[in-house]
Amino acid sequence: MKKLFAVLKREYLQTVRKPSFLVMTLLAPFLMGALMFIPSLIALKGLGEKKVAVIDGTGRLAGAVGSLTREEPTPAGDGRSAFGDKRQGGAGRIVPEYVAATGADPKAEAAPYLERLTSESVPKARRLDGVLLVPAGAFEDPSTRLVYYSRSATDFLVQERLGRLVNRALARQRLTARGLDPKELDGLLADLRVDSVQVTRSGRQKKGGEANFLVAMVFLVMLFFPALLYGQEVMRGVIQEKTDRIVEILISSMTPMELLSGKILGMAAIGLTQVAVWIAMGAGMALYAAQGVAAAGIEMSTFLRPSVAVSFTVFFVLGYLIYVCVYAAGGAMVNSEKEAQQVLTPVVLILMVPWFLVMPILMSPDSPMSVALSLFPLYTPTTMFVRILVSEPPAWQVAASIALSVATVWGMLWTTAKVFRVGLLSYGKRPTVQELWRWLKVA
Amino acid sequence: MDTVLEVNDVFKHFGAVRAVDGVSFGVRRGTISGLLGRNGAGKTTTLRMVTGVFLPDRGRVELFGGPGPASRDRVAYLPEERGLYRKMKLVEQLLFLAEIKGRSPRAMRPAAERWLRRFELWDKRDVKVEELSKGNQQKLQLAGALLFDPELVILDEPMSGLDPVNVVLVRRLLAELRSEGRTILLSTHMMGEAEKLCEEIVLIHGGRVVLSGALADVKGAGGRKAVHLEFEGDGSFLTAVAGVSGGQVDTNRAELSLAPGADAQEVLAAALPRLAIRRFEVVAPSLEEVFIEAVGGETLAGGRDGEAAAAAPATGGRS
Repeated sequence: MKKLFAVLKREYLQTVRKPSFLVMTLLAPFLMGALMFIPSLIALKGLGEKKVAVIDGTGRLAGAVGSLTREEPTPAGDGRSAFGDKRQGGAGRIVPEYVAATGADPKAEAAPYLERLTSESVPKARRLDGVLLVPAGAFEDPSTRLVYYSRSATDFLVQERLGRLVNRALARQRLTARGLDPKELDGLLADLRVDSVQVTRSGRQKKGGEANFLVAMVFLVMLFFPALLYGQEVMRGVIQEKTDRIVEILISSMTPMELLSGKILGMAAIGLTQVAVWIAMGAGMALYAAQGVAAAGIEMSTFLRPSVAVSFTVFFVLGYLIYVCVYAAGGAMVNSEKEAQQVLTPVVLILMVPWFLVMPILMSPDSPMSVALSLFPLYTPTTMFVRILVSEPPAWQVAASIALSVATVWGMLWTTAKVFRVGLLSYGKRPTVQELWRWLKVA
Repeated sequence: MDTVLEVNDVFKHFGAVRAVDGVSFGVRRGTISGLLGRNGAGKTTTLRMVTGVFLPDRGRVELFGGPGPASRDRVAYLPEERGLYRKMKLVEQLLFLAEIKGRSPRAMRPAAERWLRRFELWDKRDVKVEELSKGNQQKLQLAGALLFDPELVILDEPMSGLDPVNVVLVRRLLAELRSEGRTILLSTHMMGEAEKLCEEIVLIHGGRVVLSGALADVKGAGGRKAVHLEFEGDGSFLTAVAGVSGGQVDTNRAELSLAPGADAQEVLAAALPRLAIRRFEVVAPSLEEVFIEAVGGETLAGGRDGEAAAAAPATGGRS
């Protein structure tokens, strides 16, 4: 134990003292935030104006289309645009050009506008980004189809927004034509909002909106990224010790198991330090911006329960240990950083599986797939944590997950220690699978 | 006899390479023993099995009368290649090396200072290891191996990479360690060095022990003698003189080994008419001559005979 602690202490101090650790710890939350919010900001502002011509065969849409000019882009989705409803804002500003085409053939009428859409010779100020064709039959015939022309095949934000606008305007006009009072129509056509309420076994009810996804993602990022980052650090450390031949002195002084456990627990301590700092920073910011958070409909109490803190710590440590073990095993097998790069890609892909499946797990945390993943050795800590966060898995599953994680960590350490002992000192070629197997049996 | 280390018929093969192929020897308390052999003879692999870095395929290593791992904290090991953390400061590095031997870093601080001062590294105590010269790294490594007061010190090629001044420094250090009652096992391919330092010799070649025992016994094995000559004239005929079994003839000097029972005076008589002799000396053969003789014989006689030849002195040496 004394030697294990010596290794742990060395790993911890050597890493924490590096300037890069400080920078990483302080900057990562901002980087993470930027990564999440910048795309939605760009989607909102960066798209800029879209000039669209609306060729109206019905002659009834002038008012509705005109309303677009007065409309300001919706602010970032009442604080939930990062995740939520991009259709409300996000498409930037639409500058319409209304063309009444009653009587005339709208198709013929559209031709010059389509020219302005595609031709290079048109001056920039007159160029169009889209043309919406509303046929004359749109008012009476429900089988009529609107046509939206644009240069890009993926301009669906503008297309949907215009489509909704036209449909709503037509619906209002149809209803008015049947004698309904236009003043009453707003109330009659209003969409009702849905509040989601989570009912738990203990009978408590928790309110939460779409934005809760966002918070869940933040937690997950905190689970994943330190592990991925410092896992590589462990791998590099193992290779470094090998190339510097320190390992001979280490192995002549302690068992490979002591050495590996010390290294890996040292890395866990580093990760915990970092996450502790992040949580403190997050709590500080949340306190500062408490009002904003409440307004955004994020029910912080859903996440900042004591039970979440406990399970986060438990599953963070377990998940971290498993990931770091995988890296250490990789490092024990190779002889140089260069070889490590080849091993790294499959390793990272294997470890990222829960990350790719986060959405389905969040959507249905109690589906058979979610349950299966949360009880699969490599993935159990991360996926079980996600399930605990948004749902209430049976206690036996949580217990099984913890037991499985501990067993996995131990098993991986044992295996890695064996590979380590043989692999660390066999210079030259990377071992084949058969050789690895032989090492496991013999060493 | 108080044996600190007992190596009993150990084998280590790497695929088709038989790095160590049945090596046995013992090291007595308070002696300096040398593991000798050419590059690739199996010295380093043997030492790695002694220190527990490798597990032997077969055979046993006993330290202080028990299995190796139990007493690893009483054994210091200096590997052939530098093995230090490049980014650590000197003092930190030394204290870590003592800590993994189960010593408390606080208690070891004075010792660390003492060793750094002794090796003239104290001024650089807060410098990172990677900024040291290779020779200084070697010295730091040695300090790390000795800091925690080990009973058995195992050194793999301790002189390699050192300048002549430091070689003397290390030689004096080893003598001092021995006078403190510590046991030393070192490996080297430099026969002259071993002859100066070691009391006990284990000569290995091709993964097997060729000769072993006290230095004087090994050199005197078979009652052989050698003749050293300094002369003027063409001495190339000297190796063909009756009674001379081999040797080296240079322009002005010859070192000849004699066949068992041959008379050195007859060699002198044969040389006198043809050369102007300036010096003539009858000596015990140098370790180098013994080694070449032992190994050369084996290579010429082939595998089976070599094995028999290797086994006989090995058992004799351990008794």
